[in-house]
This record gives sequence, C-alpha cells and structure tokens, in this order.
Amino acid sequence: MSEIKQIKIADGVDACFVVTDRFKTSKVLVTMAMPLEGDVSARAALPFVLRRSCRKYPDFSSLNGYLDELYGASLQAGVEKLGEAHLVKMGISVIGDRFTLDGESVAERAVELLFDLIFDPKLENGIFDPSDVEIEKRLLAERMVSELDDKRVYAVSRCQELMCEGEAFGKNRYGELSEIESLTPKRVFDAWRGVLKSAVIRVVVAGDSDTDKIEKMLSDKFSEIERSPSAISTSFIKSARGERYFSEEQPVKQGKLVMGFRAGMESKDDYRTAMTVMSDIFGGGTYSRLFLNVREKMSLCYYCGSRLNREKGIMIVQSGIETENEEKMKTAILEQLDALRAGDFTKETLEASMLSINETLRAYGDSPDALCSWYSAQLLDEVIKTPDERAAEFNAVTFDEVCGAAKEVTLDTVFMLIGTEGNSDGN
Amino acid sequence: MEIKNLSNEKLGESYRQIRHPSGLTILVLCKPDYVCTHAIFAAKYGSIDTMIEENGTMREIPHGTAHFLEHKLFESEDLDAFERFAKTGAEANAFTSFDRTAYIFTCTDNFKQNLEILLDFVQSPYFTEETVKKEQGIIGQEIRMYKDAAGWEVLFNLLGALYHKHPVKVDIAGTEESIAEITAETLYSCYNNFYSLGNMVLAVAGNAAYEDVLEVADKAIKAAAGSPARREFVREPAAPVSGYAEKRLPVKIPKFMIGFKEDIKTPERSLKEVVCVEIIHDVIAGKSSPLYRRLLDEGLVSSGFSSEYFSGFGFACSLFGGDSRDPENAARVIRDETKKYKKSGIGQKEFERARRRLYGRLVMMFNDVEEIAQNLVDSHLNGDSLFDEADICSSLTLDDVNEKLKDILCAERSSLSVILPLEGE
Repeated sequence: MSEIKQIKIADGVDACFVVTDRFKTSKVLVTMAMPLEGDVSARAALPFVLRRSCRKYPDFSSLNGYLDELYGASLQAGVEKLGEAHLVKMGISVIGDRFTLDGESVAERAVELLFDLIFDPKLENGIFDPSDVEIEKRLLAERMVSELDDKRVYAVSRCQELMCEGEAFGKNRYGELSEIESLTPKRVFDAWRGVLKSAVIRVVVAGDSDTDKIEKMLSDKFSEIERSPSAISTSFIKSARGERYFSEEQPVKQGKLVMGFRAGMESKDDYRTAMTVMSDIFGGGTYSRLFLNVREKMSLCYYCGSRLNREKGIMIVQSGIETENEEKMKTAILEQLDALRAGDFTKETLEASMLSINETLRAYGDSPDALCSWYSAQLLDEVIKTPDERAAEFNAVTFDEVCGAAKEVTLDTVFMLIGTEGNSDGN
Repeated sequence: MEIKNLSNEKLGESYRQIRHPSGLTILVLCKPDYVCTHAIFAAKYGSIDTMIEENGTMREIPHGTAHFLEHKLFESEDLDAFERFAKTGAEANAFTSFDRTAYIFTCTDNFKQNLEILLDFVQSPYFTEETVKKEQGIIGQEIRMYKDAAGWEVLFNLLGALYHKHPVKVDIAGTEESIAEITAETLYSCYNNFYSLGNMVLAVAGNAAYEDVLEVADKAIKAAAGSPARREFVREPAAPVSGYAEKRLPVKIPKFMIGFKEDIKTPERSLKEVVCVEIIHDVIAGKSSPLYRRLLDEGLVSSGFSSEYFSGFGFACSLFGGDSRDPENAARVIRDETKKYKKSGIGQKEFERARRRLYGRLVMMFNDVEEIAQNLVDSHLNGDSLFDEADICSSLTLDDVNEKLKDILCAERSSLSVILPLEGE
C-alpha cells in the first residue's frame, strides 16, 4: 500500500498525497464541503459552470481542444451528498509525462488547468458569464430530471425524501427544480465565493506527481483568500418513530419496493464496523440472506440489496418486483432481518462477508480514482484511515455484534412504486 | 504448448499468450506492483448466436439462451459457484453480450484457488428442469426491469429499425415468451456446441504469476479441444427497415439515438477500421467539436450526449444519442454535420487532435486490471494483440481515415429512435 502524506494548506484546507509510480496516470481531486442548506441549486450548478471555461481558456470548445492536446485529460465535475454535507467536486486525470509520444510534459499543465478553472474563472462585469450559466442551468435541470427518469433511482430517492422529510438529508443534491430554473449568474457567483471562503476543502493527489509544486500552487491560491470554514454536522435519528407507508402508481412493468431503516446511530461517532457487516450479510454479496432467499430460493426478483449509509445512520433495502408480490416480498425481507437478529445465520456467512469487505477495501489501492474518492470521503473526519487500516478493523467483528447491530435497526419508511403495466400481456 | 511474449516498451507492459495443449488460449499480463487480479473465462457465444449446428444443419434456438445459460452455469450438483467463491472472498460475476459470455472474478488473495473454481464451474454444466423453471422467474424480472429502462429501449428500438433479420436486434436476455421455451436439454445442446475450449479464452491481468496460471490450468482443464462454433454471416440489405421508431414511456425527458448503418461485405471489421471510425466520431461529435457546441448552445442535447461505433459479427453502425427536448431537430443537425464532413473530409489538425486523445485513452486503460483483461479477450477474439491498437493509432494517416469516412455515416442508411414521455405529460 502506498504511503499517504497529509499537509495543511490553509484554515480548513488540506492536501493528501498518495505518491506512487504504479499508475499510468495521475489524478487530482478537489472536494469542497458545505452544509446541505442555503442555495443548494446554485452550489450544484457551480462545478459545471466552472468546468466550462476559465480566464485563460474563455471558450468551451477551445478548452476541450486543450484537453485533447493533453492526451485526452479528463475533467470531472459533480456534486454529492455526504451525510448532510454538500460536496462540490472537481478533478482531472492525465497520463504521466513518460507516456507521451514526443516526451512533452502534460501532467503539470493539467493540474494548472484544474486550479485555473476553480480559482480563476472567466468573469463578465464581475460575475459569471450569463450565457454559460444559462446553458448549465438547463443542463443541470435535465440532468436531475433524467436521473429520476430511471425508476430505480427515483424509487430510492423518493423513499429517502419521504423518510427524511424535515431533515437536510431529504433534499436532492441538485436542490429543487424550481430553484434551478430561477438560477442567475449572480447566485452561482455567490456560491463560488461562499465555497472558497467557507467550505472544508481537501485536495487529493494520486500518482506520480510533483507534490512540492502542487503544494506551493495551492498555498499561493489560498493565500489570497480570506477563510472562515463552516461547521458541518449531520443530524441522526436513532430509531424510527413508527412505520410509514407511501406508494405511487406509474405505468411501468416492474414495481419497485424500497424500505428505509434507521440504523440505531445517535451520531457519526456511534458507528461500529459490525453495522456494515450486518448490512452486508443481510443484502450485500451473493452470500447474503436476501440474495439467497428472496432471489435464489423464492425467485421473486432479479435484484434485492441493502446498503448502510453510515454518514446518515440509515439503511436502504431496494428491489424490483411484480407489484402483486409486494406483501410477500416485504414479509420475506423482514423475516430475513429477524433471522439476523435471532442469530439464525452461519459462521461461514459471517466469514464470507468479512473476507469480501476486506478484499473490496484492499482493492482501493489499485485505482487512482478509488484512492481519490476514498480520502475525499474522509474530509470531515478527525483522523485519516487508509483502506488497509479500515480493513484491519473488520477482523475483530463478532457474531454477537452482528446480531446486536441487527436488533438496533428499525423500519421507518416503505415506498412502493406500483407498476400498472404489470402481467405479461401487451408490450 | 506454444508460448509467445508480447511487449510494448513505451507502455512498459508485456504479456504472454499461451496455446494450451487442450486447445484453450491463455493470456496473462502480470502487474506485480498491483494488489488485485482480474480473470475472465469467456466463450465466443452471445445473443447473436441464435443457431446451433447439429449433424451438419443449423437449428434455431430460443432467443436469450446464451444469457440463460450464463445464469445457470453457476449452479452445480453440490456447492454452487457463489458458495465456493464465498469461501475465498473473491468477487465473482458473469455477463452476456451480443457476441460473448464471460465469467469473471477479482481477488486480492487466494488467486490459485479462485482460478480453479472459475475453470471448474464453467466446465461443469448441471441443469435440471426444476432449476431451469426457477430461473425463468428471476430472468423474467430482469427482462421487465430493462423494458422500463428508457436507455435500453431506445437502443433496441433503433436496432429493430436498422436491421431486417440480423439477430443483433434481439434483446440479449430474450423475451418472457422465448425464455419459457428453454429447457435443460436446450441448455446442454448449446453448452456442447459453444463451450468447447477451442471456442473459449482465458485472460488474467494483475498480481498473479504466470506459472501459477499454468499450474492451475494444467490441473483444472478437463475436456479436449473442440472446434470453434460456426457463425453464419447474415447478409443485411443496405437500407434500414425504417427511418424512424418511436415509443412512449413514463419519462420526463425524451431520449434519442440515431444510427447510421454500414453496408458491409464481410462479417468483421478490422482493428484499423475501428480505430478510424473512433477518430471520425471524435472529430465530428467529440467534446471539442463544433457539432457538440452547436447542439448544446441550441438546447438540443443534454450533457450525456455521446457516440459509439457499434460493430460485431455481421453488423456495424455509428450511433449518436442522449437526452433531448427536441430529438428530431437534434437528429437533423447531426445528419447535416455528417453530410458536411463526408463532402469536405476531415482536416489534418482535427485528425491529430483526435488521435492524441485516443492514444491517451489507450494509455489510461493500462491502469485498470479489469479493463486490461477485458481488452485481452477482445483483442484475442478479433485476432489481434493487445498492443495493436496503440501501434495503429500511431501509424494511422489522415488518408486512411478519410477513406473510411466514405463507407460510413450515409444519411440514407440512417434511422432515428426516440423514447417520448407519455401523452399528456
């Protein structure tokens, strides 16, 4: 495993370097975290507007032409939710100089470009270019609508929204459609200023890069910015106050059943590795209770899985089913959870889960993208852990702890997307 | 046993190609400084293989059989493959595409044991009427899931509009009706026809020693070689079935895909042709192209707009698509732009830019053991070596590309497929 070097750049800003020459590329990922509140849509539009141009490359096509020149260096822009933190992400991947055809240097130019896009945007009358914002506003709205056109994404998103109504986590990471449609250059510009001033920021660099130079570039950029980082926290609800049921009809062939559970956590520090193992045994791999029973034994579905979100203390179970099988499926899922609570699973299953989690974690080291995501996801944690260190924590999980974790899980919200085009007739 | 070493100095990579006495081709690329190993055991058998040869004549088999067989091969008389992999920690999976079925695993530990499981279960078919019946429910749900997926439907509706009889137009998983016809006997016939070692390939990339691969292969490979299964070249009329296909689904934003069918005289495209078309697509519709700019500025596409050269045994077409509020106009602008390029040809500068970008992408591929193993299989099935694409990319000329441009992107052979929101939405 490669070593990691963490360096403080400014108040609330650090850089993590994973230096290795194993990769053909290097990657730089800048993650900026804000509380999931305020003008969420403006912040969601921000990375996409910044990705369009900068002072040095004011034109969208010429910027993309420059990326071609850098051997197809790829720019990444996006927003995510991490618990109730709103993450604005921008990154670049580029091939190492030793692989270029004429030995030209591209890696450093790519990093410079990324920082130019973030820190030195193209401005018109002191704010962002209205035509850039207009296009990105449309694209953001279409991105949001298109994602929700995927029924699987829609059903999970709707369940979380209903379950976490009144909590910041209930928000879509792009905000509201109406907020997007009313975006102005000024609002996006203010979001930019707000992020540079108040976000908790981590820059992760993975690959064979000149770390001193990148550190110096970042220090220079931040020396001009007056920083006042926001406090970011996530509210946790330990147990469900009761079970709520919602459904919606759509003319689709397959129904989607989503069940949202509270995972028994009072805060982020309340997390124990046994919860991850419990969720994995419940509906993670092909050795899981849900895979073996509701799919393989009962043939009720093609997929049925559970996933723990430790940053918010919830667990989501989702499946695509015949609408008429809803009750049968719900009962079967809850029976499997009861089996975990009662310790009705084998030691072999526990071992399979721990082995699988261990393998997954250790695999992070083989990908610059995975390494960047790994360390950026820890930007609000006190201490950084390597994937190997996290993997080692799993070795101590016991059978009883897994049962205990299952007992703490409570069902909060069920959402059923009812397919009205069910049954095999017609097309 | 024939062993060939292949290497590329610039990329700093090399691999071995072994012709095992059993008839199986084994490809191994070692990356000792990586943690993971990815292995693929693949059969040249996909959804386009809808006929099997029996006593010298070709017989039709139900659509979706290759995919069904892939699901069922994981089962055995005692421990199924997933149960065996659960003991080693490897992540195992399988997929069926138009022209192949692949069984894969990724692991960081226990490589030899995992490889043995992989080779063993793929060579040990076990089907009963009861287990086939059970799978019909699971796959039925998989089919229904895809029927609701607009991105999948837009592609298959387009293939249906482009192709008169080529089986590429058939959904990979088949239909609920076609899979109902599958029996244990169908699966055994297809298995015997397509899973002979001469019709298969094993590729391994990552932290595995070449000697270990051979040792396990020697032990675990059972059968003697059969010959590669026959594939018929289904000749297609040059013209599409129809220029337009439309379907309504409960989506809020329309999806479109425009396809330009190629009039091919031979079943397979050479790697050089493929590289040429990739460069042409990038010049015409890539992120730095005037077309992409125009489509965005005029509000005709969303950010996911992309292109693909979709080719395989007996079919080849250029695809462009994404989300659009106005699919007809987006298609019109794309057709106009392709016409313009076919007339003027591609310029030297655009060509160099696109070539550089493609080269960079090829280099990036060597970061990822899964992609490397995948490409080892692809290149082998196409009769190429893993490094050929990089070599072609460096030696290609503008004339090569403009010559290929003449064969493709003919407006009169194009079709537009759209998925529209439900009426009144």
